[in-house]
Amino acid sequence: MGRRRRLVDPAAEAGAGALPKVIAALSRSLPAGPSPEIFRRAKFDRPEAPALWQLLFRLLSPRSADGASASLALEAQVCLVKSALRSQGYPRLVLAQLPEDGSRGSRELLLALSWLLARGPLPEQLLAQAHVQLGDEIPVCECEALASPGPRVPHVEAEGPVDIRCVQWLMGRLRFRWRCLIASQQEQCTLLSKIHLYTRGCHSDQRLGHLSVAETEMLRDPEGGQQGCGGGVGQSLDLAYPKSLHSGQVPEASGMMCGWCACGWVSAHPPGSLLEMQPSLCTSCALGCFAFQLLRRLERENTGLEAALEWRRGELVFWRWMDTVLGACPPEAPAAATQPTFLPRIAERGLGRLELAARELRALQEELCEATGRRRAAWEARVGGQGRGPQWSSARQALQKAVEQELAALRWAWEQDRGPARPHGPHRLVRCEDEAPGGQHLRAAEVIQALRSQEACLEAALRRLQGQCRQELARLAGALPGLIWILPPRC
Amino acid sequence: MSIVTVQLGQCGNQIGFEVFDTLFSDSHSSQGLCSKRENEAYRASCKERFFNEEENGVPIARAVLVDMEPKVINQTLSKAAQSGRWKYGQHAYFCQKQGSGNNWAYGYSVHGPRHEESIMNLIQKEVEKCDSLSGFFIIMSMAGGTGSGIGAFVTQNLQDQYAHSLKMNQIIWPYGTGEVIVQNYNSILTLSHLYRSSDALLVHENDAVHKICAKLMNIKQISFSDINQVLAHQLGSVFQPVYCAEGSFHYRRNPLGDLMENLVPHPEFKMLGVRNIPQMSENSLAYSTFTWAGLLKHLRQMLISHAKMEEGIDWQVRPPLSGLPPLGKMPLNKELHFNTSIANLVILRGKDVQSADLGKKLRAYLHQYTKFGIEEEDFLDSFTLLEQVVASYYNL
Repeated sequence: MGRRRRLVDPAAEAGAGALPKVIAALSRSLPAGPSPEIFRRAKFDRPEAPALWQLLFRLLSPRSADGASASLALEAQVCLVKSALRSQGYPRLVLAQLPEDGSRGSRELLLALSWLLARGPLPEQLLAQAHVQLGDEIPVCECEALASPGPRVPHVEAEGPVDIRCVQWLMGRLRFRWRCLIASQQEQCTLLSKIHLYTRGCHSDQRLGHLSVAETEMLRDPEGGQQGCGGGVGQSLDLAYPKSLHSGQVPEASGMMCGWCACGWVSAHPPGSLLEMQPSLCTSCALGCFAFQLLRRLERENTGLEAALEWRRGELVFWRWMDTVLGACPPEAPAAATQPTFLPRIAERGLGRLELAARELRALQEELCEATGRRRAAWEARVGGQGRGPQWSSARQALQKAVEQELAALRWAWEQDRGPARPHGPHRLVRCEDEAPGGQHLRAAEVIQALRSQEACLEAALRRLQGQCRQELARLAGALPGLIWILPPRC
Repeated sequence: MSIVTVQLGQCGNQIGFEVFDTLFSDSHSSQGLCSKRENEAYRASCKERFFNEEENGVPIARAVLVDMEPKVINQTLSKAAQSGRWKYGQHAYFCQKQGSGNNWAYGYSVHGPRHEESIMNLIQKEVEKCDSLSGFFIIMSMAGGTGSGIGAFVTQNLQDQYAHSLKMNQIIWPYGTGEVIVQNYNSILTLSHLYRSSDALLVHENDAVHKICAKLMNIKQISFSDINQVLAHQLGSVFQPVYCAEGSFHYRRNPLGDLMENLVPHPEFKMLGVRNIPQMSENSLAYSTFTWAGLLKHLRQMLISHAKMEEGIDWQVRPPLSGLPPLGKMPLNKELHFNTSIANLVILRGKDVQSADLGKKLRAYLHQYTKFGIEEEDFLDSFTLLEQVVASYYNL
């Protein structure tokens, strides 16, 4: 953790109420943030742990699990948090040893939270994820994703030779997941297309002309409405959706009163129109509901953004306080690296025989170690240290560099082909019939063509490399006479 | 997500009919075991998977029927329509006037390419009716002429055209004593071609199902219809919606995707077998009681001791390693099942070809294949592929 203790600044001391304000701002910018009082009590390791476990769970669990995860039991949340922190490389082992029922360790959890905050702009990232998206957005350009290799994964050295079938198995699973993803994406495209088609003419903005999924959802369900609509919409698309949008029956002019403004102007909404879903409201009230909900969402997002700003301004006070929290922790046990072993209590009688057995086992183990050591050394000498050792890691580094260079060259070639600067980032999907003038609009056909040419480039590169591999294999096969190589079936 | 079924040949069509019938009756059974809302959710999920909604309310099975003779297809279509509860699409079938004489090569090299466009068009129409495609089922037999030859061809085409969709072939392993003389040849060719283009091969053995019918279900005169019903029951138990607690929809949406990901990720191990219990006729169900733990224990032992029936399980066999985790909450467990009869077949092949007078007889049959473009190299290729498969399984 190693933050140095800063000298106490008398100017900061003057703002005694600054700390609770800053912590309150932090809570407001995080989902399910606990009150400043909980933070204070956590410093002294008071039993406030459950709230902090739940906060960490919300921060660490993947976004798509929002709806279902709230119902997970505390033990499950504790497990998830521990494994997520471990995979990100959290250094303190005390956290991993906290009890599963989530009753203790509030100070440790506070330290974990501040570790996460120190790593990256967490509140801003969360707010960006929960951003209210009105349109159906798709990312047009993936350059940021390509450029950054992703979070650094802690390198795990395999204990022994890994069975290649295991690796093939995992690759196969990955491929199947990929195909399922493609199927889901195709399904999403079909539904988007249906919604865009059925809501023609419903949007007030003439340039757009139809509603997006988010807008449709808000209109369909003005009372409810989930947070983070833009991302969570995919979940709420179900297959009855387009049918309810486009039910064939026309309700009769009911002449009933509008549920909101009590006017008698509720008549049959035109079939296939969105307003048909609100039969008990007059048109202006239905649209009003929609606008009201949108306003609520935007206000919530505003609050979060303002809280994040306030947090950034007063952050320093928080970190000074966290130094004191770290100081309040007991020093870590020196033998923290090894797991504490709990020896079972053995009755007195059995102790003598047990000692004998233990001694014999130890002798046997030494013998075995010796034998395997000799064997292993001989084998490694023959094989020449494949997969391990200094020359292998340098070979691997050289390979990685070559791949990166090739990827960079490809990207450069694409940039040249693309011509004038094309906008990056997410774009809103709009379906329109006529040929609108260019300007800042991107045509789907052009994007598809660009992607196809990139795909062709990459496939050509793949085939070239596969050909090289095959030639290499053929050369190796030819070097050993009398041996027949049967290559695995192409899959 | 929906599954499109392609029924090929006499065997495929008859079994396909039984499958749809079983699925439909299962989802509409009035046993009253759960609440109304759950029943409706289950029914909706099953219907979406296998049937298409029509205006007058009669669901249409998402299937394409292919056969070279019109007899079986007509029977199947009329049986379905007569029941009044569900039916096949009016134009969702393809048949010719002549058969293919149980000749694999004829089916693969002649019928296939000739009718490729019509068949693929039919499949395309079914696919377009789906909101989302989970994958394809292809039901065929291994040893016949039409089913196997065309099946191999169609699967290859599906691989080319729908490269991203998942395909599972249900293949019916013929009786050991053989109904068709050249069934071994047909089987080898079918298996090797399918191994290359399909994602998973679910094998049903006629022998095993026959025994189940005889011993456990107390059917005296076993007809193909009975066997098909048992098969359909097995398939239905696998592919009916699986309940899962998470997610807003209580039934998992992508049946094929889930299965495939967990069972056949490795490209060399594609063969699957099905075990299900209890195996008894519907009438006796009412008189027995089961516990979940007991059922699972039986099933586990069946898997370990390679038994295919509930009776006569060898309880002495113990596993060296733990088995694969069960999927979902269904009363079924599946594993990679190495079918020893492949090895038998291949060895038999070798013996036959070497022995002198049998060799002459089989050489005569070989002529039938070379007539239509399947050369000896193709046979050798198929043998090699299958030997590899056998070797991989041995080394597991």
